[in-house]
Amino acid sequence: MKHFSEEELIAYQLQESPDTAAICSHLENCSECADLSESIAETLRIFSAEPAPQPDLECNWQRLRSNLSVLTPERRRGFELMRWRWVWPTASLATAMLILLTVFGVLFHRGGETKRNVAVNGHGPITVEPTDPAIANHLDAAERLLTEVNNTSGPLDDATREQAHSLLLQNAIYVRNARDSGALAEAAVLENFGRVLTTLDNESPTQHSTWRLRLEMNTSGLLLDIRILRQNDDQSQGVSQ
Amino acid sequence: MDKAETEAIREVLAGNRDAYRVLMDRHFCSVTRVAFRITGNEADAEEVAQETFLRAYNKLPSFRQDSAFSTWIMRIVMNTAINLVERRNRDLSYHAPRIVDEPSAAEHTVRVADRQAGPEDILLNSEAVSMRRAAMDELTPMERTAFTLRHMEDVPMTEIAAALNVTSNSAKQAVFRAVSKLRRSLAPVAGGLR
Repeated sequence: MKHFSEEELIAYQLQESPDTAAICSHLENCSECADLSESIAETLRIFSAEPAPQPDLECNWQRLRSNLSVLTPERRRGFELMRWRWVWPTASLATAMLILLTVFGVLFHRGGETKRNVAVNGHGPITVEPTDPAIANHLDAAERLLTEVNNTSGPLDDATREQAHSLLLQNAIYVRNARDSGALAEAAVLENFGRVLTTLDNESPTQHSTWRLRLEMNTSGLLLDIRILRQNDDQSQGVSQ
Repeated sequence: MDKAETEAIREVLAGNRDAYRVLMDRHFCSVTRVAFRITGNEADAEEVAQETFLRAYNKLPSFRQDSAFSTWIMRIVMNTAINLVERRNRDLSYHAPRIVDEPSAAEHTVRVADRQAGPEDILLNSEAVSMRRAAMDELTPMERTAFTLRHMEDVPMTEIAAALNVTSNSAKQAVFRAVSKLRRSLAPVAGGLR
């Protein structure tokens, strides 16, 4: 009998499963899966919604109003976009070459200690060793920051830049830890992320700075690497539990 | 987008800041509720809601109106709340008084005890709240956000993904991870994992 995984049963309980009928009939015949499913349902019941507070609208409006300046619509600057038209393809080509060289460099210098740690796109779990639980938070924050970078059309806002600044120091620590533990691929990905953070922290924001960052540092590829690290981190935690 | 909201935005952009009140009246409660789900306390939720509306106001000139204002502001509140939670997590001293976990402190009160309940019920209630809060604290801000919005606010997964700026699959995985972690956190009291 094929049992359903915890994830499939969670999806079922949250009504997100594509196999509702199959799971439902399986649960009638399999006490093991039925117990697990009931345990998940119990967890969801325990964490059902608590009443949320009702804010005082008038009071909040008065507080907010005092901070509002008078606005004017933003003008589009098409000319500047045209001026940069040919710079970006060239920059992206150079960046792609640089990344390729970095990846090859990392692979050739691995030698010596062999670890089951490969965080290159498409490969499986990078480690079966217990991991630092705080890295999950860091990778989450990295994923969100990079998606913000990849999706923002103008300059990044102050909060995002402030977040990049605070992530910078933490990232350096995680890079060192990864290097110390021999997880070179993880260290390489985090180092690339560190370069993005350093650029964000040091360059003044302009209309095109986010776009340039995306092209020069291939943030989309980096985001994919971070997601793989995140996934591998989850899998290794699952193994260790 | 709603005609009244479009008109309000047009007026705000023309220099009438009082027109922003229309948008605030419509969305402030839902924004505060979402902030409360993510931060877990009332004081932070109001702070986040204020910051969210201020950020939205300042970004209004670049709002393209190809999506609803509600979707746009929901994305801002989620990011603002997550940033606050992350800042709090970094500041370890913030957690110090929470070990005592008396729900009488205004900013910690998320549940009002039943006045008719006996001392034992009140104790059990406060223990349950502490356990739930401790389990939620184990989640990453992204997992907490995705889980609370999906499970407590019934927000569709696609909307959560759009607001968090991740793929729908990533949002789903975050919810699944959250439920799995919460189940494990409660396992010792529930008599072990089944």
